[in-house]
Order: sequence, then C-alpha cells, then structure tokens
Amino acid sequence: MKVRVKLFGILGQRFPGYHHEQGMEVEIPDGARVKDLLAHLEILKSFGGVVAVEGKLLAEDARLENGAEVNIFQSVFGG
Amino acid sequence: MKFLKVDMSTKSVNVEDVPQEYMGLGGRGLTSIMINAEVPAKCDPLGPENKLIVAPGVLSGTSLVNTSRVSIGAKSPLTGTIKESNAGGTVAAALGHLGITAIIFENQAPDGELYIFRIDENGDASLITAQEYKGMGTYALSEKLLETYGEKSSVFCIGPAGEQKLTAASIQTTDVDGRPCRAAGRGGLGAVMGSKGLKAIVVDQRGKSADAIADPEAFKEAAKAFAKAVKEHPFTGQMLPALGTAGMVAPVNSMGAFPTLNATQGVMEGWEKISGEALAKVIQERGGNPSHMGCAQCIVHCSNEFVDKAGKYVTSSLEYETIWSMGGMTGIDDFDTIAQLDRLCDDIGVDTMDTGVAVAVAMDAGYKNFGDGEAAIEMVEEIGKGTEFGKILGNGAAAIGKHFNHKRVPVVKGQAIAAYDPRAMQGNAVTYATSPMGADHTAGNVVGEYMSRALDPLKPEGQVEASRNTQIAMASVDCTGLCLLASFALTTPEGAEAFLKAMNAKFGTQMGPDDIPALGIRVLKEELDFNRRAGFTAADDRLPQFFYEEALPPHNKVVLISDEEMDSTFDF
Repeated sequence: MKVRVKLFGILGQRFPGYHHEQGMEVEIPDGARVKDLLAHLEILKSFGGVVAVEGKLLAEDARLENGAEVNIFQSVFGG
Repeated sequence: MKFLKVDMSTKSVNVEDVPQEYMGLGGRGLTSIMINAEVPAKCDPLGPENKLIVAPGVLSGTSLVNTSRVSIGAKSPLTGTIKESNAGGTVAAALGHLGITAIIFENQAPDGELYIFRIDENGDASLITAQEYKGMGTYALSEKLLETYGEKSSVFCIGPAGEQKLTAASIQTTDVDGRPCRAAGRGGLGAVMGSKGLKAIVVDQRGKSADAIADPEAFKEAAKAFAKAVKEHPFTGQMLPALGTAGMVAPVNSMGAFPTLNATQGVMEGWEKISGEALAKVIQERGGNPSHMGCAQCIVHCSNEFVDKAGKYVTSSLEYETIWSMGGMTGIDDFDTIAQLDRLCDDIGVDTMDTGVAVAVAMDAGYKNFGDGEAAIEMVEEIGKGTEFGKILGNGAAAIGKHFNHKRVPVVKGQAIAAYDPRAMQGNAVTYATSPMGADHTAGNVVGEYMSRALDPLKPEGQVEASRNTQIAMASVDCTGLCLLASFALTTPEGAEAFLKAMNAKFGTQMGPDDIPALGIRVLKEELDFNRRAGFTAADDRLPQFFYEEALPPHNKVVLISDEEMDSTFDF
C-alpha cells in the first residue's frame, strides 16, 4: 500500500530531493504499522519520530491505512 | 551575594548582604519566597506596598551554557496572584558578573516622575532622572541608552504600556545585539515597573565580581558535560537551532491542539503557511538569520531575525507563542503581518500572548473580522497611542472580554492561555487551571509526555500527575537561570547528572537528584500560600465554562478533568 508522508522539523533533510510542499509517497506492505513505516524510513526512535494521522498521534503498533496522509515530526517538549 | 534595595520614594539605594533566610536562592525561588514574606497579599499590585524584584538565576553569569534567564517577581496586576515572569537576553549574566543576587524596588516615585536605574561595571548604582524618555518606545529607548551608557550594557525597560500601567504590559530586555526584543511578557509586570516610576534598568556587562564557585574544576567539567548533552539532544541540538520554537506549529496542529479563531478549532486551516518550516525558508530567502543567538551563553540558537521583503530587520525572535496568538487565534496567516504585530508589541511593551488573544476575542465578538491583519495592527497601535480602546486592549484578553461581554474568553485567573488547547491536551488544562501564575504554559507544559506517547492527551487519566510533575520541575528550573528550552536536556540521564554536578560544584553541596524537585515543591508551596492569603480558593482553579461545554474539533472533546481531580494537583 501507499501512504503520503510529510516530514517536519529537520527530518526532510535526510531524504535527498524531498520537497516539503508535496511530501513524498511511500510504499509499505499492506497492514504495516507505524513502527514499520519508521523502520522503512530509517527514522530511529532516539531521533524522536512521532507519527500523526488526521489529528491524532499514533502508537508504534497502530496500523496504517492505504492512502493515509501521514505527518512525521520530531519529539517536541514545549516552546 | 548582595541585594540592591532601591526605595523609589526617597531615591535611596542600599547595598546589603543577602540575609540568611534568602541564602542560596535565585530566580523564581528568590522572588516568590521574598514576595510571600514581604508583600502584603491583599495589597494593590500598582500601589506602594508591592515590590518589584529582579533576580538572576543561581547559575546566571557562570560558564554553564544557557543560564541567562532573569526572573521578575511581584504581585501581578493582571491576575492578582503572585507572579514570576522570566526573560532571556543578557541582563541575567550581567547581574551575575557583578555578584548581584537581586535588585528590589520598593515604594513609588511621586506621580509623573520617571527614573533609570544604572549599575556600572564596579557595581555602583544610582537613580537618574529620565523625564526625556517619557512615552518612548523600547526600541528608540534602548538605542538612546546604549548610546549614552555604552554598547556593553544590558537594558531592561518598559514602553508606553508600562508607563500607562496597563495590565498586559511587559518588561522588555535587550538581546546580544542590543535590541529590546526579549520579554518578561506575562502577568503585567511592566505595569508594576511603571507604577514605581522606573523606565529602565541599565546594567554594565563588564562586571568582574561574580560570586565564587566552590569547586571551579568540578564545575568546569560538569559544564562541559552539560553542553554536550544540550548539543546531542535532538530537540535542543537539532530541531530548535533549525526552526526555533516555531517548529511547534506542525506537531501541535497535527495533534488538533492549536487553538484557532479564538479557540473554536484545534487545527488552523492553512497552518503550513505559518509553520516553522515555512518561517525558516522565508527568513533564509530574504537574507535574515533563522538560527540566531539571542541570549548570553546560548548554544541552542533558537532565536531568529525576521526581515522584510527588502531584507530589513523587523523583529527577533518570531516565536511559536506569538505566531499562534497573532496568527492562529486571529486567523492571520501571513508572516509579515505577524512579525509587524510582534515588533509593535515589543516596542509598546505589551505581552504578545495576552494581546493576541485580546485581539482574537475582539474579533470573535464581531468588532473586526478574523483574518483582518490591517485591523489587528490598528488595534495594537491604539495601545501605544493611549486611546480609550487601546487601554482596554492593553489590559489584556480578560478586559477586552468584559468590554464586549463576550462569552468565550480563554483566560484563567485573568491571564490568557497559551498555544495548547486544554481540550486536546488535558494535562495542560490542569496546568492552566492550577498554576499559581494563572494560565501559563511555561509553568508545566505536558506536551512532551504526549510526544513520547507516555500519555493519551485526550483522556483524563494520568493528567493531574503529569501536570504536577512538570510544574514541580519548572519551578525548580526557574530558580537556576537555566532556559526552559535547554532544560529539556535534563530529560536525558547525562544531562541530568551533569546539571546536578554543576549545582553541587557551584555551592559545595552534596545534593542528590531528589533535592532539585524538593526546591520546586518549596517554591510552589510559598506561591500557593500567597495566593490563598490574597483570597484565592479552589473555585479559582477552574477553566472558563466554555472549555467544559464547547467541544473542540477535530476531536470534539471538552475538558474532562473533574473539580476533585483539579483540587488534588498540589497534594504534596
């Protein structure tokens, strides 16, 4: 399945040619979970990859759906 | 270790050794404990009985990175509670270099008189008449004062709003480039400064009489280790230097927790136009600086210098909270307008947060349309001009809400909320409701718990405990001079250990990890005691009714924390 990923913070810099306005399409196995997507993108937990879909933060084990618009950002603590 | 006590009625300045009961205290710990001990709780915040206390943190002026926060304490004219508001810039380090633990302003100058309090490089201090600066904005004032007293000075000042004693008035202080763009914004302490007849404090940065460090070698080692922890933390070492606090726009909107159009929505339509990513791009394209050093001793560089289309400086730093209050809350999605509003607030000397929320409340009440940037600018300009409407707006969101008899006024104890909707972050509901400071995100922001998925932001379970723990942690950090942002390096074992070692090396103590939160608990207890004696009860620890009744899209949640749970926050 395919999901559209937008990367925030400095995550986009890790992917040459990433265009922030468009995001990027990522192909992952059907039924993939959040942790599978992060592993696919090689975003380590220590780097703070946080995934949100439709206004909700998802747990690592949450399943993603085909066509989902996925925002990934780094952990933030306040501002 | 000395106090400078300034009697504004007799114009006398006394230098005193720090009394035993205040030894070892700094920052918020010192201001709050002293206010509770020495200021009558029921006094008029703008009367002679109130005191204005300026205290650097206990580590300010040392070589430890990011320790340039200065605390200002008083009874707040905005909330009626005890208040500590802190700011960055250079003044905390300058005071630390002079071995000044606090400056305490007492009583008031006669009506119409205005003074500058000047401290030279030897620590000699005097009051100087400042009639020629009456009504001056903080930018022109700072320029004049730096011209007069030398570039190696820190300026700490009020603008026209403080002179008018408006209850959203800020105290502005200069950054490393001498611009008055750092603010102790919250709680109207600029009005207290104005009520004393004090226009500015000017401190020479070249002092060489800092308090001794008990174990300089151990301190140096600890400072090095702490700097490493700050640099290696993804938030303080990567995200903040790249995007600043504006990097919060994406995650908070992605969580549906960005209070929008006067807190009627949790996601701003088109928020990517005002995101941290977009801001860094605009600044870079125009030749500004997206990663600027704003404060002395800073290695995070979360600040930025926003420039206009011609590359001319407009403001520094355009921060998350201001982007929210002047952008998200008002529906303005254009950086140039938001930056202009930020600059205006800094120059007039008003809190960007309370002012932005006040503008949003006025728009929601039908006074102007949401998204009307020109109208927002005109409204804020009225504060500087001292018009009748400007005075109401400059008294903050609560005052403008009363003026329009509007039902939706997002304040607690008279102070506007911050850029985290309490219905989509239930832990921040607890902090807003119970903090002794009124609604204040810096008193205990739970957002980090949600990011780590340790806590579900939409459920009531665990929120009181999370708020309690962060409020204790912040009360401790605010004593030290350490910047809130750099303090997130304390969430790593290496950072926490290095910081504790630095504290022990500074004081020659053997404190353990539990002693730091113990200080925070002590400070909170003093603050709560003051508020209780000022007449506050549990009934004041509540959010406005609409947060319990109006569901916030997209989650369609209301605040779910019961009164009983709120009241258990400070069961310690």
